[in-house]
Amino acid sequence: MAISKSQIDRLGERLRHGPLNESDLRLLDDYRRSFAEAYEAVVRTIRQLGEFPTGRLAKSTDSIVGKLRRESLRLSQMQDIAGCRLVIATVVDQEQLIASFSTAFPGRVIIDRRDKPSYGYRAVHIIVEISEKPVEIQLRTQLQHMWAEVSEKSSDVLDSTIKYGGGPAKWRDFLAQSSKSVMVHEDIEKLHFEEVTATQLLIESREKAEKAAAEMIEHNAPEHELQEMQQQLVDLRRQIELRRRLTEELQGDLVRSRKRNADLLNWAISTLN
Amino acid sequence: MIFLIEYNQSEGRIVTIRNFDDSQLRQAEDSRLEIELALNRKGIDHEVVLMDAASEVDLRRTHRRYFENLRQILEPKPLRESSPDKNRRLASG
Repeated sequence: MAISKSQIDRLGERLRHGPLNESDLRLLDDYRRSFAEAYEAVVRTIRQLGEFPTGRLAKSTDSIVGKLRRESLRLSQMQDIAGCRLVIATVVDQEQLIASFSTAFPGRVIIDRRDKPSYGYRAVHIIVEISEKPVEIQLRTQLQHMWAEVSEKSSDVLDSTIKYGGGPAKWRDFLAQSSKSVMVHEDIEKLHFEEVTATQLLIESREKAEKAAAEMIEHNAPEHELQEMQQQLVDLRRQIELRRRLTEELQGDLVRSRKRNADLLNWAISTLN
Repeated sequence: MIFLIEYNQSEGRIVTIRNFDDSQLRQAEDSRLEIELALNRKGIDHEVVLMDAASEVDLRRTHRRYFENLRQILEPKPLRESSPDKNRRLASG
């Protein structure tokens, strides 16, 4: 039997104020089950794109109640009852997936928490609605994911408020610094990719120019045309050299920022002793 | 594959984990409800969650929090490189 929106919101209010009773748990269970079809449709489309997400068929009661108590939203407005997650290597992959999911799910809403993190949490969430049921797709890079797992696990075992900006000051500082460090690393990663791509394009142009110059010599092209082409080649070689140097510098920056991330994690481990 | 996990948050450990085939979604949902009702009667606050993953290895990678302790999660690991195919697609796209 379909559950009306007002029934859902009344249930949300009862869950918000507690205590939980059996009939409400059953009603919540019915509501969560109603997301299965939408979830399946979203995951099927993602698999067709060659990606294999891990899914949460429905948010746990615990998380739903926690969210209702923390925020002022209604249960029917909750967009992450069902969702799935993809952990990809880098921000470059993340951008690529955002583009391909945007095409696959035209009505999607993108929530980009990379530039405006939520308590340090950085990721991209894409909300897709199928038959009025929202499904959340979480796209995390491996570093964003590592940070989120640390934040969640420390909320579990150290202090439940850590995930929402609470907890011991030294741990809050560590999470803030670590989130920022990941952001810096990923900015460099993006620049590095752009440099590698630009260098590749210049190399292709140089190869074409070299071929054209060889043909000009073979066909006895006028001297001034040949000189022009050779000047182009000199410029291209200079640009390639500059780009290569910049790429090397960025590689060095990546090594340093990776070390900085690792140092922060090792510091956090040392505090657990 | 579907995984039904009962997780003790404050202790940071899995209490029970059960696997179901994809065709057994209904059964998995029924089992989740049974566990939630039983925990509620006993006044125990555990997280009960149904996960869907190609394998347990995938699930352990995307939801480490259920399977690893804080120290293991913090341990710095080598980073995976971006897929060259994807980079090429992005560069040409």
